[in-house]
Amino acid sequence: METYGRGTNSTRTRRRVGIADFAVTDDGAVLTTSGLGSCLGVGLFDESAGVAGLAHTMLPTAPDDADNVAKFSDTGIDAVVSAMRQEGAAVDNIRAKLAGGSAMFEFDSQEESIGKRNVAVGRTTLERLGIPIVAADVGGDSGRSLRFQGDTGILVVKSAGDERRL
Amino acid sequence: MRVDIQSLGTYNRLAQEGAEHAAASLTQMTGIETYVDVTNVTLMSKQDVEDVFGGTEFVGVQIGLGGGLSGETALAFDQESAASIVDVLVPGASADDDGEFDEMAQSGINEIGNIMMGGFVDGWADYLGASVDMTPPNYVERAGTDVLPDGALDRAEEEHVFVFESQMTAVDQEIDAYIYMLPEYGAFADMLAASDDHDDAIPMDKLTVFDEMTRQGAQQAAGNVSSMTGIETDVDVSRLSFVPIEDVPNTARDEVYIGTVMEFKGTPGGYLAILFDEPSARTIVDATVPMELDEPLGEMGESAIEELGNIMTSGFIDGWANVLQTSIDHTPPELVHDMGTAILSPIAGRLGQSQEYAFLMDSTVVTPEGEFNCELYAIPDERKLKEALDSLLVERSDQLEADQESLF
Amino acid sequence: MPPKVLIVDDSDFMRNLLREILEENFEIVDEAENGVEAVELYREHDPDLVMMDIVMPIRDGIEATSEITGSDPDANVIMCTSVGQEEKMKNAVKAGADGYITKPFQKPNVLEAIDDVVA
Repeated sequence: METYGRGTNSTRTRRRVGIADFAVTDDGAVLTTSGLGSCLGVGLFDESAGVAGLAHTMLPTAPDDADNVAKFSDTGIDAVVSAMRQEGAAVDNIRAKLAGGSAMFEFDSQEESIGKRNVAVGRTTLERLGIPIVAADVGGDSGRSLRFQGDTGILVVKSAGDERRL
Repeated sequence: MRVDIQSLGTYNRLAQEGAEHAAASLTQMTGIETYVDVTNVTLMSKQDVEDVFGGTEFVGVQIGLGGGLSGETALAFDQESAASIVDVLVPGASADDDGEFDEMAQSGINEIGNIMMGGFVDGWADYLGASVDMTPPNYVERAGTDVLPDGALDRAEEEHVFVFESQMTAVDQEIDAYIYMLPEYGAFADMLAASDDHDDAIPMDKLTVFDEMTRQGAQQAAGNVSSMTGIETDVDVSRLSFVPIEDVPNTARDEVYIGTVMEFKGTPGGYLAILFDEPSARTIVDATVPMELDEPLGEMGESAIEELGNIMTSGFIDGWANVLQTSIDHTPPELVHDMGTAILSPIAGRLGQSQEYAFLMDSTVVTPEGEFNCELYAIPDERKLKEALDSLLVERSDQLEADQESLF
Repeated sequence: MPPKVLIVDDSDFMRNLLREILEENFEIVDEAENGVEAVELYREHDPDLVMMDIVMPIRDGIEATSEITGSDPDANVIMCTSVGQEEKMKNAVKAGADGYITKPFQKPNVLEAIDDVVA
């Protein structure tokens, strides 16, 4: 396709991850996602390969005929890991950071909340893949916004006016 | 006519993917990283369309579709977004004193429209197995509904129209673009029509009636706010749209809200969120609570917001209950103070366990002087909504009020 | 002696509002925040009138009304609620409610409804 205008080749430094979505970078881009409530954010980083990925999943476990793997914590993590491998990451070198999984309301925390189950499935999936979780900022009753630095693997969590670096 | 939810879902997905192609083209041509915020299908009356588009100046491109998919499309930018894009795309082109773009700029906008809409319809053509023809782009600078293709609204006069809407936003800049597609009603209805033995089908005429009942519910809720605050209010927008469940949280803006969330149980059942931005919440509380309050709202202020949620919820759902001759319970309101998307995410999550799409009813209550605004989101459980529609008697649809006099 | 009133509502704000409307002409014996408290406080104070909300946590106002009028058939209960559903009103009548005020209300509506019930 023909390209137009200036700035076409400028490096993009920020990539936004939507809900039921993920992104992978091998050029140190900052991956961001906002408004995580009961959803789970999973930041994955292979330092030696310089590859990072961020997933924002909504539901714990995928049904067999899932139309969008990125929507579920189990298949979403699988998807971002395989996308990272395509960019040169090795599963053995990937480290994970988790954030999100809040119970925003009381009626949400009756039974087991979606947030809690998202975190539990996230942990199990990472364990199955043999990926260690090096930091987590999960649970509570506040929403979070995430900035995952693709060059350093630092996960910045903003929540209720607070900023934490994982 | 009965509409098959699965095929409505399929078309929504085609529109979403089409919008993603269009956004990718925009990014490629301008170097401005953009993404698709929300894609929804809305069933609109002419009034709805006017409410949604009213008062905004748009710059855009209209393109007609024919062949496998007939209808009208528009790519619309607000004036400032268009200026930013022209600036990148056609350096040196400019707007004159009245803000009108020169010929170079217009040609740039036309070309971007052509390419973006080409990307938008490709997936449709593949899915339908037929080529989709596009008319040459028609550049427009217009206010409100006039940005929509000519004739699109005349058809809405006699019937509702389906409007596909995708919002695209730039990552690092204040740029918004919208793609609208209004498929020709008759042809599209045929594409959606469910076979008679289909369990999953939604009766279209009743959905339209339910939409109208919901609009009146929003009016009632707005009236209740007026009674409590003494501030005149109006319902600015009220619409029923069909969105993938994961897009529900994104329908709230990316900002902090104060409000309440309720679960309602019965036929229909689902969730309701009533959200104020922070200054609006403060205004409401000051107008309602006759005392000095702590920052931010104080306990009495929070209680007032909860009670307002309670009263607005009743205004909203009582009409449904009375028309359906049933009772709908709701949980006591829960106060929330957080980002809009985070507030809506557990609602999407809970419903998402059993449904892939949602019928979302969102309304905005505003005041003439702009004292405050309030967003209402009602998201019924799909199965419960279907039950409600099945039992809805269209001839009772004006029986929204209870007959209290005869009981007490 | 002014009639004794028990106010039942889970909302601080609403109890406050009702208190302001009623305290001039009534003795407010107590305030309850849910249906369970309402029944207990009714037994304790034996008021002339109960202003009863419907949607409350723990136990709703219709159940509480039913229990109160079950043990004291002469009890005067006015539902004071945002709910405007006919089926709910019928349930309130069945539970023994004597009046029904829909929120949001103005002071004269409240006083008028009370006049109708406590003559």
